[in-house]
Amino acid sequence: MSDEIETRARKAARRSLTRRDFLKGVGATGAGLAFGPLLASCGGEESTTTSTAAQGGGGGPKTGGSLKVGIVGGSAKDTLDPHLATTEPDIALNTQLYDSLMGWDQDYVLKNRLAEEVSANPEATVWTVRLRPDLSWHDGKPVTSDDVVYTFQRIVDPANPLSGAASLGGLKPENVIKVDERTVEFRLDIPNAILTEGFAYRQNMLIPVGFDPTKPVGCGPFKLGEFKPGQQATFSPFDGFWEDGPYVADLTIIEFADEAARVNAFLSDTVHMISQLPRAQVTVVEGSAGHKVLRASTGAWQPFTMRIDEKPYSDVRVRQAFRLIVDRQQMLEQAYSGYGWVANDMYSPFDPGFPKDLPQREQDLEKAKSLLKEAGYADLTVELVTSDAVGGSAVSAAQVFAEQAKGAGVTVNLNKVDPGVFYGDQYLTWPFAQDFWYTRNYLAQAAAGTLPTAPYNETHWKDEEWQKLVEEAYRTPDDAKRNELVAAAATIEYERGGLIVWAFNDQIDAYNEKIGGVKPDKSGTPLTGFRFHKVHFA
Amino acid sequence: MSEIRSVTDSELVEPAKVHGARRRSEWVEILHNAWGFNRTRVGVGIFAFILLLAALGPFFAPHSPTEFVAAPFSGPSAGTVLGVDYIGHDVLSRVLWGGRTVLGLAIAATIIGLVLGVSFGLIAGYARRWLDETVMRLLDVLLAFPQIVLVLLLISLLGPKLWLIVLMVGLSHAPRIARVSRAAALEVVQRDFVRAAEALGEIKPRILFFEVLPNITSPLLVEFGLRLTYSIGLIAALSFLGFGLQPPAADWGLMINENRIGITVQPWAVVLPVSLIAILTIGTNLIADGLGRALIGIERESGGPS
Repeated sequence: MSDEIETRARKAARRSLTRRDFLKGVGATGAGLAFGPLLASCGGEESTTTSTAAQGGGGGPKTGGSLKVGIVGGSAKDTLDPHLATTEPDIALNTQLYDSLMGWDQDYVLKNRLAEEVSANPEATVWTVRLRPDLSWHDGKPVTSDDVVYTFQRIVDPANPLSGAASLGGLKPENVIKVDERTVEFRLDIPNAILTEGFAYRQNMLIPVGFDPTKPVGCGPFKLGEFKPGQQATFSPFDGFWEDGPYVADLTIIEFADEAARVNAFLSDTVHMISQLPRAQVTVVEGSAGHKVLRASTGAWQPFTMRIDEKPYSDVRVRQAFRLIVDRQQMLEQAYSGYGWVANDMYSPFDPGFPKDLPQREQDLEKAKSLLKEAGYADLTVELVTSDAVGGSAVSAAQVFAEQAKGAGVTVNLNKVDPGVFYGDQYLTWPFAQDFWYTRNYLAQAAAGTLPTAPYNETHWKDEEWQKLVEEAYRTPDDAKRNELVAAAATIEYERGGLIVWAFNDQIDAYNEKIGGVKPDKSGTPLTGFRFHKVHFA
Repeated sequence: MSEIRSVTDSELVEPAKVHGARRRSEWVEILHNAWGFNRTRVGVGIFAFILLLAALGPFFAPHSPTEFVAAPFSGPSAGTVLGVDYIGHDVLSRVLWGGRTVLGLAIAATIIGLVLGVSFGLIAGYARRWLDETVMRLLDVLLAFPQIVLVLLLISLLGPKLWLIVLMVGLSHAPRIARVSRAAALEVVQRDFVRAAEALGEIKPRILFFEVLPNITSPLLVEFGLRLTYSIGLIAALSFLGFGLQPPAADWGLMINENRIGITVQPWAVVLPVSLIAILTIGTNLIADGLGRALIGIERESGGPS
């Protein structure tokens, strides 16, 4: 990766580490892309999203009705600037107001959105984006290439690179060039075969020239009504939206700081949909008349992170032993109540290069003991730092690990810290901790979490052989070759990496059966990817 | 000079000893009278039950408190009489293990509060004048804060360490205990035996703790019972809020927090620790009430002084 990318990544990290984000994981859901679909999409494939695929409703889309949605609580820091969005409420709100050039559909396939056509030269150094015709902003003005240039120049401004900048590696402001009213060229100094992933990043959504976040104007499916940060926001449909919908007459997104309050509001029909249904409540909702669970199998994960530059994890045998300690199925059952699927110490399961043929790692306490003994750590005591901020089940997973580690003679003392402490100054310095990530493809994930320059490299992973493979993959437009490189890189992490990837968790939300157009979203973004313009009353 | 000393020894010190002995028999009398109330006996019975449960429970627990025995929030079954909690631990085992901390920490915090509060109260009551005013006004400042707010404020500043929580809860009791101690001491310090001790040149700490303190034991006994009740509530509340023990430790307050989201599917994991904490506080409160009634001379189960 270039120095420039490194610098941007570091700046992005410095700026955003104190606001450890939903988007590091989820907000970035739009950022994890598949190379195959990416290049296939260059031909201008139309979005195939449909609002008639109602699972909960039945019948065709019906217009009208006031949709009320309950989501996880935000704070007074909630923002309507899409480029600064970090938390779940930020993403939920901004997805209504704005839209991106490309995006993932609910099956995790990359599709064009505002872009009618995206193409690249064979070297992947020049990308050309052509906007759909007749796009307009909420104030009636047309969406033009000037707005695209303004948007991306704002994001990659070297003086103040925004969080989406890392996803546009290699892009300089002066290299975003208007060709005509609907066409923009992105010229790169170094090849970047996955730039389309950046176009799909939800923090890279389009804004108009002269954008004012206090009076947000977007081209998304809804226009803003009233906004009370940390409480709720109301929206009205935007008639000029390019895609089908919205179908509802108005939309209210309510933030609930307490999960019990969120569930109660849903069960009492105060809200029609809620995100992040606690797993313990699944049976309650399933047994409640008129309410349904929306369960999506995703590539989201909550790894244990071992710093490879810190004893005892600097010894690869200790890392291997810790991976062998984990009974993944038991951890899945106890920590996730079974809502997920077992992982194999590798991330990005939907990546076409993901090495599916590697043997599933199983618990082997004898081998773990033997490895620890060889490494000189026969009676090891370690501290595992955990926090509720990592996710609802992270502390549970840590407890399961501590219990399983007893079998290998390892004493694991849990240190549960406040969210502010976990993601405060000491974040990325914990020798043994946890973290969370949402669905991404391999190279996007590497850029965010495992390259030495990545803003969130929790394990301080640095491996020359691996790094060469990844960097070559970035520069390789050919899908098959790139997939081979990805598989080779992932195999290295499987053998000697610092992450214990034990499961991919399901996204669990709930909705009223009166609601149609609801579909599980594989990206991990809750509630049909927060695309409420597809939702209607049945 | 030697004549004067001889007179002092025989006439003043001996009455003080007699007085002290009378006072000691007085609080024994109060304990005896308190035991005469049903409420006290019920309270002692409850407290003893919980104490035994906390102390001996772990020996009877069918599983380790950290062992995973079934799928999360599974209901009662043959191996798990009260079902399992949010992560698959046996609820009965965790209940049997989880009383030690609530009880132990609450008693420790109350003792700390008592030591601090009595010390401040005795000093203020004995010194009077500016020292009395200074100590009591400073304590009044602390008294202005609700206890839970004061403790949370200090913990948020200094970090949620277990020893700190005990200390802070104790500290939050100190102003209240100090007021009671001072009020009781004010009357005692004017007695002749205290003046005699002063005349004998005894050092002030000795006068405070060997002459005054034994004579205010009765109200302190009542206060201890009352503060213990508050300590249990506070410690359990702090555990509930996540400031107590770290997972996977078994603790009644922590259990309530961990399992409340599943109360509709597996109520035992919440109802049981809640009930035990409630019963324990009722028990200690009944004891304190019985002692209080005995102290002010109430001889009936209800109503005012006879």
